[in-house]
Order: sequence, then structure tokens, then C-alpha cells
Amino acid sequence: MDFAWSDQQRELLDAVGRFASQQLNYNVIENDRDSVFNHDAWKKCGGFGIQGLPVPAEYGGLGMDPLTTVAALERLGYACKDNGLLFSINAHMWTAIIPVLYNGSEMQKKKYLPGLCNGTLIGGNAMSEPNSGSDAFSLATTAIKKGSNYVLNGSKIFVTNGPVADVLVVFATLDKARGPYGICAFLVEKDSPGLNVARKLEKMGVRTSPMAEVFFEDCEVPEENFLGKEGAGSFMFTNSMTWERGCILASAVGSMQRLLETSIRYAKERRQFGQSIGKFQRVADKIVDMKLRVESARHMLYHCAWLRGQRKQVYVEAAMAKLHISDCWVKCCEDAIQIRGGYGYMTEYEVERELRDAIGSKLYSGTSEIQRSLIASLLGL
Amino acid sequence: MKQRQSVEKILVPFKSVPDPNDNAVAGATASTPKSVINPFDEIAIEEALRIRERGEATEIVGVTVGAPAVDEQARAALAMGVDRAIRIDDSRALDPYAVARILRTLIEKEAPHVVIMGKQAVDDDSNQVGQMLAGLLGWPQATFVSKIEFLDNKTRAQCTRETDDGLEVIAIELPAIITTDLRLNEPRYVSLPGLIKAHRKPIEILTCEQLGVTVRPLTTILFASRPPKRAAGTRVDSVEELIAKLRQEAKVL
Repeated sequence: MDFAWSDQQRELLDAVGRFASQQLNYNVIENDRDSVFNHDAWKKCGGFGIQGLPVPAEYGGLGMDPLTTVAALERLGYACKDNGLLFSINAHMWTAIIPVLYNGSEMQKKKYLPGLCNGTLIGGNAMSEPNSGSDAFSLATTAIKKGSNYVLNGSKIFVTNGPVADVLVVFATLDKARGPYGICAFLVEKDSPGLNVARKLEKMGVRTSPMAEVFFEDCEVPEENFLGKEGAGSFMFTNSMTWERGCILASAVGSMQRLLETSIRYAKERRQFGQSIGKFQRVADKIVDMKLRVESARHMLYHCAWLRGQRKQVYVEAAMAKLHISDCWVKCCEDAIQIRGGYGYMTEYEVERELRDAIGSKLYSGTSEIQRSLIASLLGL
Repeated sequence: MKQRQSVEKILVPFKSVPDPNDNAVAGATASTPKSVINPFDEIAIEEALRIRERGEATEIVGVTVGAPAVDEQARAALAMGVDRAIRIDDSRALDPYAVARILRTLIEKEAPHVVIMGKQAVDDDSNQVGQMLAGLLGWPQATFVSKIEFLDNKTRAQCTRETDDGLEVIAIELPAIITTDLRLNEPRYVSLPGLIKAHRKPIEILTCEQLGVTVRPLTTILFASRPPKRAAGTRVDSVEELIAKLRQEAKVL
């Protein structure tokens, strides 16, 4: 087993760290407070090459293998403190770029991927509905063929990037009676008639990532925006979710590493009762736990990405990585606050935000409970 | 004066220095300081790129003097958009005059249209190489430049210089040496596509011997020491005492 990065990978990771720490960390506290999406930082990330990491060069990406991609995203999470921006980027990469890349026609790929990679286009994904969350394939949004168009009707909730998206991957059913096999996907552009991006949703964390409720009222989508094959929608969704589960928390591993380092520094500098608080075993133990979590989380992340790079199935590994990393992230944030005492609770110390940002990771891309049931079923239970 | 060639080449000498912002990188734990391109030289590279982007140059050559580790900064220059890089392989601690003499030989070989470089390096703050180079080549120079425009079919450059008295605008004949000040531009960051492209661009390694130049430093550093640590502050008990101290000890009132 080779755990060493090549010189080229190291150079790439260093470049990501430098870029992110210098270009993305402004107004983070204010933008979190006011729920502001940093569009400028988004464009910078596109120009720098983040969104296109796993996309082949012929479609405007960098053609990186999955392991290099997650390592780059991990470094991004280490150096960039705007978790909301990173969440938006991840949603865009795994639930908009991946379906287009895997299932798009040549024309769709040529039309959308370069813009989705270079930061000029923002993608989103509309799957969850008010009455269909964990039970995703019970969705009620309908699509009906009418001439050379499809007509969509229904409503979607928790649409990440909804308020700012140029194009949405929308799931709907052509025939509810066929269950998962009736589900199909469409590329819906923002100005499509009948598409209504309604209220922006306020939320606990990742507040700099805009989210909306979206309605389709006789929304007409041209035939050429049908994504993939008829009846393959559920497969497409599962593929996209597996990518997302395996990769979306790469930046969380970077965030944990940063929390670990800043907590060590704090524990060494902060003195009480005549010594550094890090000398107290109750504080040291928390830091040791943080270290164990970040290391185990990183190994699960890399292993899953490595398997994918070897073209192996990663359903279990992706679900386990998602479950484990999200759990570790929340606990690391709690410890980071506890180590800092009252200071950790203060906004300006920037760890309370990290906790609020982390909690969503146990919900999105399948709740922790859904990951567990997935793992259990794949273990034959 | 030499006739302008059809290929309009900009040569940018740059130096590798310890990263002045190293501690700022996300509060990372202590590690050996990373090296980066001298920030003023980065500004020079950026200006060369902008000149090429507006169609006033066709080739940018980056030149550095140093040990093999400096290839990393050469790669960074290529990643920013420099077309090719040359490293003069020399691991000695050279002084400005030695560097200027090496660069002179290389410039005579490369015959650039203009040389743009940082006004000084942030590690030793010498601020000499550009001026010495102009002297050795017998070329005009514009130092501390915050704006560059080409005039008269690119036979002259109009440069705005930042001086203590204000801005000075001068016109110089080309070829010339231009040294850059902080306000000339804000350098772009290295992008991942740039980094990937950089691996396909050449870094030519030359030695002083190959260039036919023998240099030895005329200055030797006897010792270096850190600045003294800031002394602890004192507490005052009253406003009166504070004012008295500011008057008598600090002498700021």
C-alpha cells in the first residue's frame, strides 16, 4: 500500500491550500450572519479549477482521479473557512456535474460542462420533496410528454444553490405506477417558463450556501434537455449519491485537521492554574480523540476514493465514509468549543459556526440513519 | 540602437525567497518555511503576462539563479503563464553584483525587448540588481515603477515611478530595465490548469561555466541576528502618570 503523494500531487495540494487561504476567507462571519452566498469566491474557485477537478479535460475539467480529487477538496476544507461555499461547490459537483458527465448526451456535455467547471455556471439538484425525503423514489413531481417538450408539475424542497442556479437537475416521474423505474431526470435552465424558485430557506448552518424551495407549474422543458435514458433516473440518482457520499465530506476532513491544529495551539497557549490547559488530561484526551477521528475519517475518505479509482463498487464504503466522517466532524467541533470554553461559544472565535455547519452533514446526502440501513442491507441484513 | 526583432520577448528575472506569509496559512503547525517567488518579482511576472495578453509581447522568459530546489519557483512562474524558464544552477550565496553579472551574460544571449524585475527581494532588501544590470548593459532603467506603457511602436516605454516626492513619469528607450513597485498590479494566483500546463513547459538549466561568466561574491555576510524581542509593557496607575510617561519617556506628546 502506498500512502505517499507524488511530487505532482503535492504541488497541486499546496497550490489549493495557498489559493484557498488567500482568496476565500473574507467576510465569512458576516456572510454567515446574513446568509450571503460569496459568488465572487465561487467564480475564483472555478477559474482556479476546483469545480472541474474530476471532469475530463475535453469537457473543460482537469481529469483528476478520485483520490487526487478528494485530497484537493480536503485541502480546500483545511484552508477555506467558508463551509457554506464548499457545500455549494460539492452539491454542484456531485449532483449536477456528475449526472451530466455520466448520463448526458454529447451535446449536453459540450453545452454545460465547460461552464459548470470554470465557474460561469452554477448547478443545483432538485430531488427532495415535502413528502419524499429519505424515501426518495416516492417522489410526486410528474413529467408528461407533450409534442417535443416535457411538462413538469410538482414541488421540490431543500434545493441547494436553488436561488443562484443557472441549471437544475430535476427528478420527476413519467409513470408513478412504475415506481423507481418511472423516474427520469431533466436539465432545467433557470429562465424556463413555469419554473418558480420560491422562498430562500433560512437554516442553522452552511448559511452561506443558498437553498430554496422550487415549484414547477406546467414547466416546459425541451426534449433535448431530457437527461439519460428513460427509466434510468433512479440509477442516475444512486450513482450521483454514491459519488456525493464518498466525496462531499472531504472538506470536512480538512476542517477537522484545522480544528485539531488550532485546538492544540489554544491548549498550549491558554494557561489556567499555572499551566497550559493542554497539560490537563481532560483537555489532552479531547485532543487525542480529535486526532483519532481525523485520522480514521481521512483513511475512510481515501480508501473509498482509491477504490473508485480502481473502478470498484463503493456503495458500502461511501456510506460508511459519509456516516463516520459526519459523526467525527460534529464531535470534533463540540470538542473544539469545549476546549476553548466560553470563547469557543463566541462567534468571533469561528468554531461555533463550524459546529452549526457540521451538523447538516448528518442529514444531507442521506441521514446517518439511512446510511446505517444502507450498510446493514449491503451486509445482507 | 538595435533594430526591433519580430519576436518581442520580455525577460523576467526572479528570486526564490522564504515565504513572508508562511504563518498566515490557516494557522498550520510549525514547519520549515516554504519558499516562494519574491513578491516584487511576482508583480513583474504579472505585468509581463498582462503586456503579452494585450498583444504587446509574444514571449516571456523567466530567469532565476539558484540551487535545484528553486525549480519549484520556476515551475510556479511557468504556472502563472511564463512561456519558458531558465535556472542558472548556482548554490552559492551570491551578492547583487554577482547576480547582475550572471544576468547580463544571459540577457546578451537572449536579447529581450525589455527586462522587468522586482525592485528588491524581500529577504535581503538589497535593491541593487536592477540598477547594476542596467549599468553593466549600458541600458536605460526605470525603477520603482507603478505603471508601464509602450510608446512609438514599442521603441520606448513610458514609466510612472513612485518617488518620495510623488509620481514621476519618464520615457525610456528600449531595450531597458524596469523594476516594479508594489502598486503596479496585483499578481494572479496560480490555477490548477496553469500548474498542469507548467509541467509541459521547459526549465533550461545552465551553469556560469556554460555562460562563460566567472563570478564570486564581493560581499560576505559576517553574521545575522534576529531583531530583539519586544520588551514587556508597563502598567500605569493613573491618567496623570500615563501622560507624564508619554511626555518624558516615550516623548510622543
